[in-house]
Amino acid sequence: MSAVALSANSPKNAGRVQPMAIALLLPITIVSLVGFVAPVANLLVLSFQKAEGTGALLGGFTTETWTTVLQDMFYLHLILNSIATSLVITVLTLVTSYPIALYLHRSRGSWRNVLLVLVISPLLLSAVVRTYGWIAILSDQGVVNRTLMFFGMTSPIRLVFNMTGVVIGLTEILMPYMILALLAGFGHLDRQAEEAALTLGATPFTVFRRIILPLSLPGIALGSLLCFVLAVSSFITPKLLGGGRVFLLATEIYDQAIVSLNWPVAATLSGVILIIFGTALLFYTRLLKSVM
Amino acid sequence: MKKILLGLGCSVAISLTGSSAFAQQTITLIAYGGLFQERYTKTVIEPFQAANPGITVSYFALPSSGQMLGTLRAQKAAPQSDVAILDVTVSKAGTDEGIFEKLDEKSVPNIADLRPEARFPDVAGVGVTFDNFDIIYNSDLKTPPKSLKDLASPELKGKVSFSGMPDIIGLSAVIVMDNKDGGPGLAGRFDKGITAMEGIAPNILTWEPQPEVYPIIISGQAMAGIGWNARSQLNAKLSNGKLKAVIPSEGTVFQINTINLVANTPPARSEVAKKFINYALSAETQKRFSEDMFYAPTNAKVQLEPSAAEKTALMQMDKVVPVDWIALAKIRDAMMDQWRRRVVPASR
Repeated sequence: MSAVALSANSPKNAGRVQPMAIALLLPITIVSLVGFVAPVANLLVLSFQKAEGTGALLGGFTTETWTTVLQDMFYLHLILNSIATSLVITVLTLVTSYPIALYLHRSRGSWRNVLLVLVISPLLLSAVVRTYGWIAILSDQGVVNRTLMFFGMTSPIRLVFNMTGVVIGLTEILMPYMILALLAGFGHLDRQAEEAALTLGATPFTVFRRIILPLSLPGIALGSLLCFVLAVSSFITPKLLGGGRVFLLATEIYDQAIVSLNWPVAATLSGVILIIFGTALLFYTRLLKSVM
Repeated sequence: MKKILLGLGCSVAISLTGSSAFAQQTITLIAYGGLFQERYTKTVIEPFQAANPGITVSYFALPSSGQMLGTLRAQKAAPQSDVAILDVTVSKAGTDEGIFEKLDEKSVPNIADLRPEARFPDVAGVGVTFDNFDIIYNSDLKTPPKSLKDLASPELKGKVSFSGMPDIIGLSAVIVMDNKDGGPGLAGRFDKGITAMEGIAPNILTWEPQPEVYPIIISGQAMAGIGWNARSQLNAKLSNGKLKAVIPSEGTVFQINTINLVANTPPARSEVAKKFINYALSAETQKRFSEDMFYAPTNAKVQLEPSAAEKTALMQMDKVVPVDWIALAKIRDAMMDQWRRRVVPASR
């Protein structure tokens, strides 16, 4: 425990700590109130307003938009589709990122630093640029289809402007986040425990299943939460790679707000996303309690 | 003596401040970005500033009318923008919300010269450009499409791209095909147009051509599609003919951009904004912009050069299907529902 923490905990300083703690928390509280709570509250107020067919906001109060969104089969399908797609992307991101993160965790010296930079470097590039890169790679004239056709494929496979493209693009875009979260959660991994298990006759797979995997669950939970939230709210990649065939919450919010000018529906769907995030966070907290 | 000097100093200071404020009037125009911004600045804003040395027009570009309305809504309490160029349906929404101030012939005399199609009783702004959609295609295509239904040809399997509904391009194509097939029109939510679009859907590469449809067709990623005439003609010119544009045999519709005066701006800025709007609507200005970017002018007195006129829908007015955009906006959600249920699944 640090000296600051010790002095803060002593009964003598108890009276002085509270104002200090308040002073330290005040800036972030103000930023949070102005930058997050107020806009979200405004969004929720907007979701209960009336709008004309032309998009004009008429003020007033109505629960009609919420009722429509929660009863219309299209919106229900949209919500379920967004959750299912985000879960698939999260699982794929986890499966592809886990070996890389584990290898990175066990690497030592300058090689580890080089690998870490390689993992983080995609984050230095805009998601828009990376998404356009995927269009070039996955299109009919892209590298993948050209290679397949070189080996005898008669016509290109549709890998982009559909759900396949969205899943591939988002999985790659979210991998750095998953790897960093896994690395942060790998703190409990103990090489000596693995060696002890091997000495006692466990196979490498049993060691992974019984020791490595359970100990890395906090990292898996953190990475999965982060990637799920980012996948549900991602807009530009589904917009560009979905080709107008993939309906997800974030793309629908954009269309309602910018093209159809129906701000109350856009605000209601944003509220639905917040509920999904809240549920995911609750699930994560429970999971974390059970594994810690 | 001291008092006289002080008074003199004050009056000099006040007059200097006043003249400097007058000399540096700046208004903000909020309008489309990209080629529109480039050409509008060159043919309208720069000549206006040259003719009015004391006025600066600051251009604030946004990609769509919806984003412009969002910005103006956010600024409603203290408007930072003075003039907005945006789609007529969005102008109607802004009018209903009190974001725009009604323009009339008294404050903007050139309104008197506008075509009737550019004036709307329930909309604050007036038409500043007419555009229409075209079929666009790559010149390498062996059988160029002449009608929207040609986009359903097997030769174009996976090679057609345009913005689907709710974008106005997809909506316009549905309207025109519905009209051609003797469809129910507004009353029947353009059902026959939706049915016709189901036939084109299997050929679609993407309903979301990004950043725009024109480079995708020029590059050959898609071979045909639908685009706005002004941008199509300009891209045809810039691509040395690689992109071709033609009005579909079924017809086309006018998309109307309106110019609007933002309400509740300071009176001095509002006066300058009206002066700019009047200039933008003048026959001379509209001719210059139309001949540069091929938007059809809304001023009835404009006489375009024949080479420019033939690239706008003005020479083929018989092909323009009339549309009540304001009434249409009210049934757009219902049409969108049919689009999602019938057209998009057919493209998967």
